[in-house]
Amino acid sequence: MAQQANQPLPNGFKLEEYTIDRQLSLGGFSIVYLATDGEGIQVAIKEYLPNSLALRNDGDVKPVITAEHLGAFRYGMKCFFEEGRSLAKLSHPNVIRVLNFFRANDTVYMVMEYEHGRTLQEFIQKHQGHISERFIRGVFTRMLNGLREVHSHKLLHLDLKPSNIYLRGDNSPVLIDFGAARQTLATDQPILKPMYTPGFASPEHYGSRKDLGPWSDIYSVGASMYACLAGCAPLAADERLKKDNLGPAMIRWEGQYSDRLLEIIDWCLNLNHLYRPQSVFTLQKALVETITPPNPKDSNARWFGRIVDKFRKPTK
Amino acid sequence: MRFTIYQDSLQGGRANNEDRTTYCYSRDALLMVVADGMGGHHYGEIAAQIAIQTLADSFQREAQPMVVDPFRFLQRSMSNAHHAILDYTTLHHLKDSPRTTCVACLIQDNVAYWAHAGDSRLFLMRDGRIITQTRDHSRVRLLIEEGMITEAQAAEHPDRNKIYSCLGSPNPPEIEFSRKMPLEHGDILLLCSDGLWGVTSGEQMALALKGANLLQAIPTLMRQTEIKGGPHGDNLSVVAVHWEQSYIEDATSSISTQTMSQDEVTTKMEEFGRTPAYKSDLTEDEIEKAIEEIRMAIDKYNPKK
Repeated sequence: MAQQANQPLPNGFKLEEYTIDRQLSLGGFSIVYLATDGEGIQVAIKEYLPNSLALRNDGDVKPVITAEHLGAFRYGMKCFFEEGRSLAKLSHPNVIRVLNFFRANDTVYMVMEYEHGRTLQEFIQKHQGHISERFIRGVFTRMLNGLREVHSHKLLHLDLKPSNIYLRGDNSPVLIDFGAARQTLATDQPILKPMYTPGFASPEHYGSRKDLGPWSDIYSVGASMYACLAGCAPLAADERLKKDNLGPAMIRWEGQYSDRLLEIIDWCLNLNHLYRPQSVFTLQKALVETITPPNPKDSNARWFGRIVDKFRKPTK
Repeated sequence: MRFTIYQDSLQGGRANNEDRTTYCYSRDALLMVVADGMGGHHYGEIAAQIAIQTLADSFQREAQPMVVDPFRFLQRSMSNAHHAILDYTTLHHLKDSPRTTCVACLIQDNVAYWAHAGDSRLFLMRDGRIITQTRDHSRVRLLIEEGMITEAQAAEHPDRNKIYSCLGSPNPPEIEFSRKMPLEHGDILLLCSDGLWGVTSGEQMALALKGANLLQAIPTLMRQTEIKGGPHGDNLSVVAVHWEQSYIEDATSSISTQTMSQDEVTTKMEEFGRTPAYKSDLTEDEIEKAIEEIRMAIDKYNPKK
């Protein structure tokens, strides 16, 4: 059965003290809006609206929730509360801040800070494979500060990927979208499927999920760094389990980035979770160690390669 | 952080107890200290008290919730303690400064750092064996290392209580630092005064504590040692911690620092995004309550400007 997409609230809609400016994103579990509060400050509002359980028709404000789905809808709401509850307790510059939480239109809303910027995903797409080591180290070291805070609250992110790492104007990273953090509880609720993103989800995400731990988020961090180098997501972990065709970073980018960085990426992307860095701190420590510059003799080729790349692109 | 910790100090056969122990912890760091005030000098217990207080004070000030540089923290607070003892001496016009040994251990991010001056010891025990221990700053230790005497002879040596480094002496103390020691789940770190290790050897303690609950095993060990020490036995003191990996879920009598500072982390230990603790229908009341709870958390952690 094809699922119908939920209709967003119309632009200009008054939601409590907020005015909806426009829809920012639509997910299977929620809709995110850009809105303005009473003082003219922009915020992001996340509306709990699971596609499969509640349907808002065009022109309506309240979604239709059938009696058979009410139980699951309420259960999902509980997960949404968990997300709010966990985020509310995290006060960290690298983790998105929750500003308000309220109930309206038969569902619930979470108001979060909004800042101008872009996701790492957009950044990667724009810079296709030409992201500097300095940038990667800088962004990831700071992002890991936030992740550490998350883990120290006994919470896993579980859906880390470049599109969930938001970069402010000054390139300082913010972790966003903790929707997966709690949804993973729903494995035996077929209607609210656990969510993950192929390529960034760890092998533990598939299957029984009982081995999920900090190391699972660390796999996703490794995959995100790999994506910075490759310009696209690495091979999905379930495919890798069948046949591991993922070229180690150490081989693919030898000489272009420091050996240490490449080694760290491969370390994080180990299929066996026990062989990965076991804590964010371990990973962070490795990342901030002194950088040994890549082999200088290749620098010319790299520079040349870049120029050639530049000329190549338009002909594609 | 998760750990089980126990400290105890017994008088032995002495007229007073000049040993002092302390431990303190923040959400992300743990400090343990044992100081053995020197009986040969006056006011040994004062020196020991100043030492543990100085260390505990600096910890409370600096562990927010972690100490920035563990070794510098130990170095600075131990030498501050040393100077605090000397200041006390001047202030009270004492003829001779009171002195104390000191061993202190800081744990954060699963790594232990320690420092010591004198012959109070730290043992790191794993699977009933001693992985590492401090080297006493004593004359007999030097003699043993030079091969002049054996361990057995050292236990009977007339100079066995003479140490060449301590806090409070007019000569600056020689403070010896450990290396960074990553801890494993189940490791035991035991800090003690010579009243304990002089009677019950480290190896014996490691065996006695293997797989045991410290809250029961340490008091037994202490009482047995006190009896063995006899009517003239020295003061004996211990702080021992049984380290548990934060991500391992079973723990009984252990302390979890996650739940400590106020109700900040409440009782959500089991919910590492895995345990299904749901399965009940959400009533209207519960929805209202949940929203109220989240709003309170927002106000508390993210005060509006």
